[in-house]
Amino acid sequence: MIELYHIWKKYQGNDWALSDVSFFINPGEFTFITGPSGSGKSTLLKILYRELLPTEGQLVIDQRNILKIPDNKLYELRRSMGIVFQDFRLLFHKSVFENVAVALRILGMTGKDIRTRVFNALRMVSLQKKMWELPSRLSYGEQQRVAIARAIVNNPKIILADEPTGNLDIKLAFEIMSLFQEINEKGTTVIICTHDRELIRYFGHSILFLFKGRVLRKEQL
Amino acid sequence: MIICLTFLTLGIFLALSNNIKFLTRSVSDDQVIVFFLSETSSMETVAAIQKEMEDSRLFSRIRLVNREEALAAFKTKFPDLESVLQNLNRNPFPSSLEATFSRDSLNTAAGRDLVERMRTREGISDIQYNREWIERMRTFDRLIRAVGFFLGGILIFASFFIISNVIKLNVLARKNEIAILRLVGATNWFIRIPFVMEGVFLGLLGGVLAVFLLWLVTALFPLYLGSSPGVIGELIQFRFLSVSQILALLVSGSLIGFLGSFSSLSKFLKI
Repeated sequence: MIELYHIWKKYQGNDWALSDVSFFINPGEFTFITGPSGSGKSTLLKILYRELLPTEGQLVIDQRNILKIPDNKLYELRRSMGIVFQDFRLLFHKSVFENVAVALRILGMTGKDIRTRVFNALRMVSLQKKMWELPSRLSYGEQQRVAIARAIVNNPKIILADEPTGNLDIKLAFEIMSLFQEINEKGTTVIICTHDRELIRYFGHSILFLFKGRVLRKEQL
Repeated sequence: MIICLTFLTLGIFLALSNNIKFLTRSVSDDQVIVFFLSETSSMETVAAIQKEMEDSRLFSRIRLVNREEALAAFKTKFPDLESVLQNLNRNPFPSSLEATFSRDSLNTAAGRDLVERMRTREGISDIQYNREWIERMRTFDRLIRAVGFFLGGILIFASFFIISNVIKLNVLARKNEIAILRLVGATNWFIRIPFVMEGVFLGLLGGVLAVFLLWLVTALFPLYLGSSPGVIGELIQFRFLSVSQILALLVSGSLIGFLGSFSSLSKFLKI
């Protein structure tokens, strides 16, 4: 359960990026956060994975006050999440396998366990045959699927995605969204920031509308 | 390179210090005092002097060295100079009384008083007491070490900052990778370890190179001096560092590397 209570966020200057944002997301829910550019979508997502701290407000995930976690313990929160970005954020000098495996190496896993889980994650995103390729030899759609594989390989409870289809054409965007849907059907909470109305209309689910840092409404489709 | 130079500098001064100590010990013993007897001293005068020394209870050992024994000792210690003696018609070495101060009486007022009394005593032509010379050598040794540690200390600071900056550049180059590691939940230590190990390796490598270069110098310098240094060759045998000194240099290098990289990560990455 993700609970936000009266989140305010101000950067330098007088403008509020987020103003009194409160909402809940139930476990296993698939939620789109949408709004025009500058509405605070990315800021909200960054607060969810503690890249940023809000100026005011409370954030509780599974009854744990996330804002009180000390910096040197943030890794515990991050391990329960998988995060996907518009620019993929892959290690281009390492193979597809190593890019996905890094999420398991930091857990102290080795050898056979890593190979099995990485293979399964890549199979889910249909990239098992390209395990040893470098990301630079993959298409944009394939690179994003590697990023998704990395996000899901350690079975996180929550997937956060910030404009994951921003660099992709419509066909690829639909493929990626289908993947997220598949992941969600297995019980993972999925939260996606996007301004793509086509995708939202097609895939439905729960939608949170932001405008100038405020929650306009939350809809359930 | 700077780390290598740092420990090479320290190593050179330590080796110099080792050599000064060895030279001091090999030339003289600060507990021994030699009373050279006049050529005209009678047996009774010599016996009286010896008794006076024994009665003072300042010496653990007193030995009479006659002229022939003195000549033989010189020939043994400086074989290259034997040819010089052959040109002399007579034995130039006087008899002497070699006395070893006991530990309790070394550097006491009673010892100094006796030495001063003996300088003007009938039957004694000269006194050789190397303690002053040894004190000067020890002072020189302390000076060498102080200069070495001062220069080494400055270079250690320089090494620390250089390693710190090298690590900072590496961190910058791997900024994206570090960001990804943080996002997937790597602990601070997981991120730190490769950089810290790199720093330790750089420091250790610098230390190893410095020890090797110093060994090279120690091994090659006598060759540079030549095969017949004569008396000097008897006195000067270039001594390398002891095992504990080598270990200290290597551990110090590793430590500087560790501290430099750790400090850089703490400030730059805030981890």
